[in-house]
Amino acid sequence: MLKDTAPLDHIRRTVPQIREELGVAPVSVKAIRDPQIYELEKERIFRKVWLKVATGWELPNPGDYKVKEMPVADTSILVVRGKDGRIRAYHNVCTHRGNKVVPNKGFETFGRARANVVTCRFHGWVFGTDGALRSVPMEEGFGQLDKACLGLREIACDEWEGFVFINFDPEPAQSLKDYLGDFARLFGGYPYHESTTAFRYSTVLKCNWKVALYAFSEGYHVPTIHAGSLPGFRGIEHSDFKLIGPHASSTIYGAGMDAAPSTQMFAGLLHGSEDHRPRPDQLPADINPTRRADFQFEIPNIFPNLLIHLASGCGYPGMSFFTHQFWPLDHGTTLWEGINYFRPAKNAAERAAQMHVNALHRNAWLEDTATMEDTFTGIMSGAIDEMQLMDQEFLIRHAALTLDDYLAGTLQ
Amino acid sequence: MTILNDLILPAGFEDLAPVAARWARPTENERNALRFEAGAADFAAFRDAMAPRLEALLDYLKDCPPNPEEPAQRNALMLACAYAEAAPHHELYGGSAEVPFSFDARRFVPDHGNDPL
Repeated sequence: MLKDTAPLDHIRRTVPQIREELGVAPVSVKAIRDPQIYELEKERIFRKVWLKVATGWELPNPGDYKVKEMPVADTSILVVRGKDGRIRAYHNVCTHRGNKVVPNKGFETFGRARANVVTCRFHGWVFGTDGALRSVPMEEGFGQLDKACLGLREIACDEWEGFVFINFDPEPAQSLKDYLGDFARLFGGYPYHESTTAFRYSTVLKCNWKVALYAFSEGYHVPTIHAGSLPGFRGIEHSDFKLIGPHASSTIYGAGMDAAPSTQMFAGLLHGSEDHRPRPDQLPADINPTRRADFQFEIPNIFPNLLIHLASGCGYPGMSFFTHQFWPLDHGTTLWEGINYFRPAKNAAERAAQMHVNALHRNAWLEDTATMEDTFTGIMSGAIDEMQLMDQEFLIRHAALTLDDYLAGTLQ
Repeated sequence: MTILNDLILPAGFEDLAPVAARWARPTENERNALRFEAGAADFAAFRDAMAPRLEALLDYLKDCPPNPEEPAQRNALMLACAYAEAAPHHELYGGSAEVPFSFDARRFVPDHGNDPL
């Protein structure tokens, strides 16, 4: 495959450019407050754009599947790796009478399709992992049955760097490659697939999904919200702003903090390990292009609901990257998913050190999520009609403008 | 609180048996449940016992597989993981079992919460 090496200078923005391009005026909270806008978001965004739903390394073998509940599209999906190694996505709906083919518990359920088939528990219809309807009990009892047309209903599905995306539009307006555009070039080439040790947390928040998304989309809050978890914090620089169509990105640099004694011990172990040490050399060329030693992580917003924070071991010790996703369950309820990714531990000491780093980061997330329900309550109270946004909150401003464009139909 | 009196630790770490009995558990959910019950004095005592021995314990664990089956190795890793979880509550959070000014940790669901180690 030819590597696209054209420079990405055209996505970079200075602060004055950001102000000129996105404006500096307060941003309305109507899109957060109005339940009717949520209905429009379902129709014009979540049923139209590419959504990350899995990773390839979650489904390493043929037959491995994941069932994911998707209330935002009023459906349950089955993501499965076929015998040919390809990952496909289907509505988890039996074409007989609509029962769920693979039953599930909670929002995500993993399993293995034995012999590369899944069987509906209602009447025993059998589907291949390629979606085809393979067999129907008492088939002769149907007056007519065109099995060739009764495969699982497929959903557009594609992969980028091992991240599995779907698009509910039967005929997506763009390919995944075109939708990601320069974001794929900015973040491409990092060995994401090597970081198969994942610690996933989730919670259901009583807030609109954008309140949660926006709270994780800026560095302005760090000195206050994280005062407890960042002793001797010496400040951050949130810079290297980039605008990438519906997506955007930026960089967190930081002078570090006074690590607690236990953290020094655990972090030292990971920093001394070839597999887990800071690897600025593995960052894609356009992220931290000058290879500053104080790089912490890249903080993008991949429209509409995905953040991939790429650290390459430079921020939280040993952590390759971490992701957030924000799934609306209804207008005022959100499923938040946060996942910390590490390369596999080679020994028990590295395992314990990863547990420590994971706990520290989970604790920071607990500080982050503390604001969200209060923020939503405040917005719903009607006391304010606008958000005041500073430069470091440009990802929020950009996401809000992009959302408006999709709702108005100027982007699709 | 359940004390596990039958935890065998590797040779040279026998002195840590009481803290292992008090804190070492195989899953994140079990470790968190103990943490939620603990107070400042518990975290301080854990720190006093572990801080002087952590380097040696990690050196020992460097020679163990990441998910050891041998009981003494496994118990040593459970102890290290328990300290990895509990230490910030003494060192950063003033002895509080909760992260101060935070979301309710009991509402955070770890997918791996019941997985051993």
